[in-house]
Amino acid sequence: MRVLAILIDTGRELTHRRTLIVYFGVVTLVLVFFALALRTDVVDGLIASMSVAGLQANASPGGFRLGEGAPGGGMSGLSAEDFVRYVQLGTAFMLYPLAILMSVFATASLIPRMLEKGTIDLLLSKPITRPALFASRYLGGLLTVTLNLLYLTCGLGAILALKTGVWNGGFVWSGLLMSLYFACLFAFTVLAGVVLRSTTVSVMITAALFFASLIVRLPHAYRDWPLLITSHLWRYAAVAFVETLYHSLPRTYDFVRSTTDLIRHEGGVAWTAVGGSALSGGVALLLAIIYFARTDY
Amino acid sequence: MSTIPPPAIPAPALTCARLAKTYRTALSRGGVRALVGLDLVVPAGQTFGLLGPNGAGKTTLVKLLLGIAFPTSGSSTVLGRPAGDVRARQRIGYLPENHRYPPHLTGEQVLHHFGRLSGLPGGRRTRRVDDLLRRVRLTEWRSVRVHKYSKGMMQRLGMAQAILNDPELLILDEPTDGVDPIGRREIRDLLLEQRARGATIFLNSHLLSEVERLCDRVAILKDGALLREGGVTDLTRPRSAWQIETRAARPDAVAFAAARVPGARLRDGGVEIEGDVTALNGLIDALRGQGVTITAVLPRRDSLEDVFVKVVEEEAS
Repeated sequence: MRVLAILIDTGRELTHRRTLIVYFGVVTLVLVFFALALRTDVVDGLIASMSVAGLQANASPGGFRLGEGAPGGGMSGLSAEDFVRYVQLGTAFMLYPLAILMSVFATASLIPRMLEKGTIDLLLSKPITRPALFASRYLGGLLTVTLNLLYLTCGLGAILALKTGVWNGGFVWSGLLMSLYFACLFAFTVLAGVVLRSTTVSVMITAALFFASLIVRLPHAYRDWPLLITSHLWRYAAVAFVETLYHSLPRTYDFVRSTTDLIRHEGGVAWTAVGGSALSGGVALLLAIIYFARTDY
Repeated sequence: MSTIPPPAIPAPALTCARLAKTYRTALSRGGVRALVGLDLVVPAGQTFGLLGPNGAGKTTLVKLLLGIAFPTSGSSTVLGRPAGDVRARQRIGYLPENHRYPPHLTGEQVLHHFGRLSGLPGGRRTRRVDDLLRRVRLTEWRSVRVHKYSKGMMQRLGMAQAILNDPELLILDEPTDGVDPIGRREIRDLLLEQRARGATIFLNSHLLSEVERLCDRVAILKDGALLREGGVTDLTRPRSAWQIETRAARPDAVAFAAARVPGARLRDGGVEIEGDVTALNGLIDALRGQGVTITAVLPRRDSLEDVFVKVVEEEAS
């Protein structure tokens, strides 16, 4: 019941944040648009005809065009399955970064606010252990963000399934994978939050880790780059630095690639990278809990 | 032959043994010593007042007892368990100074939130929340978010939160801070109810008159050390002194009479005399001889404030 109390309160707190309200509004607009504006006629698994907001769609090189100016060749044998995947890839491309960005902004203050004088005293006087309190707060933030991502993926997946008869489970899985990515990133956010007790600095550190994880992937992927360094010692130090950083941060690039692969049903999830990220996130969360459990407030 | 078992002696509500706390900071080499080897026992069922100037270590002591901060050395127990123990915290109610509640919650939601955190089951919690909102006159405000509450309302809500789980031990840090006289009386009545129920109350307050009215025992802390501890009636026991209130025919008559009697001095518009009954009668005769009308003769008693100031000043000198 005590963990539930923290989960409910964290969820309530987040649903009052403007950033999450904006995200929820944008996703709702997207869903309403697809629900009301898209009309499709599917025959034998192929899109026979399609209109968007009353404008007829016709195939054109590189995609399709809408309206009277479009060539009238129909959809040129575009399969409903491909159509659904393209739409979901496009949506994921635009909305996943927005979701992660908004979620980081919304949740970064969860820990610093909890640690404010007058709030933390009261919480720590209640019969809940410090690790349970901290972990519940983290879990509350993660659950709220996951529900938001599922709202997008399940909502859009269901609408497209109703319009085309094609259900792409990979899109829902991709949302869950994004949620796991956020969980890893959020662990570093709460670690920064509990040590520095500042929302702004937590957001800055999370953003820095995000970019660092993208940048560090380049030297990790191109293994010949250390040859540019002549000194053996410096070469060894540079490689050690890059590899340590690469393995201790959430691997953003691999998550993005795995997400698109899930939606397209091509290749597979980069489990090593995903597992490594989960491990580094787990270590960050554990460090944050240990720090919280040992600090005077 | 049957033997009558001896009456069970209740375990103390709080104990501290050589409890010390030093806050380490980056700038000070030795750290800041907030508590210095404190020994203290608070028996169960008592109302105990903790007094001390700012920075005396009162809040630090409360934090150590609740497990909000950790001691540098020494030990303490709360309700028979080590300080900070989760099972002990189940039986504690706490109102911190400058408490904050999540601003997005209404008063009713705040009480439900902390009720859940205290492990109160749903039905009982709902009844208790309704009852307490009525007791602290917040029924009409139950659906209003707390960021719109005044300081006094927040304090009343805080009191309701602290007694939500019918605690065996109630720890209050400045409970009447910012509360108007009517609200203060309501809080006092709530505390008296808790005391009648058998709860131990540990009160940390600057309002010495409140402490004097409510508490059985007090401790005075300064610079993290215990200066004095005792029953309120012992500390404020009557002295061999009297206060005589008068209505003089001539303005200088009282001063003239007081000057002629050893041990007499003007105070608070009347005359005070230190000494026995003979000295008192001597002063009365002198006043009557000057035509002064005596309206009251009161035995003098040190107020808690007098005791507090005296003890702290003695320590300083």
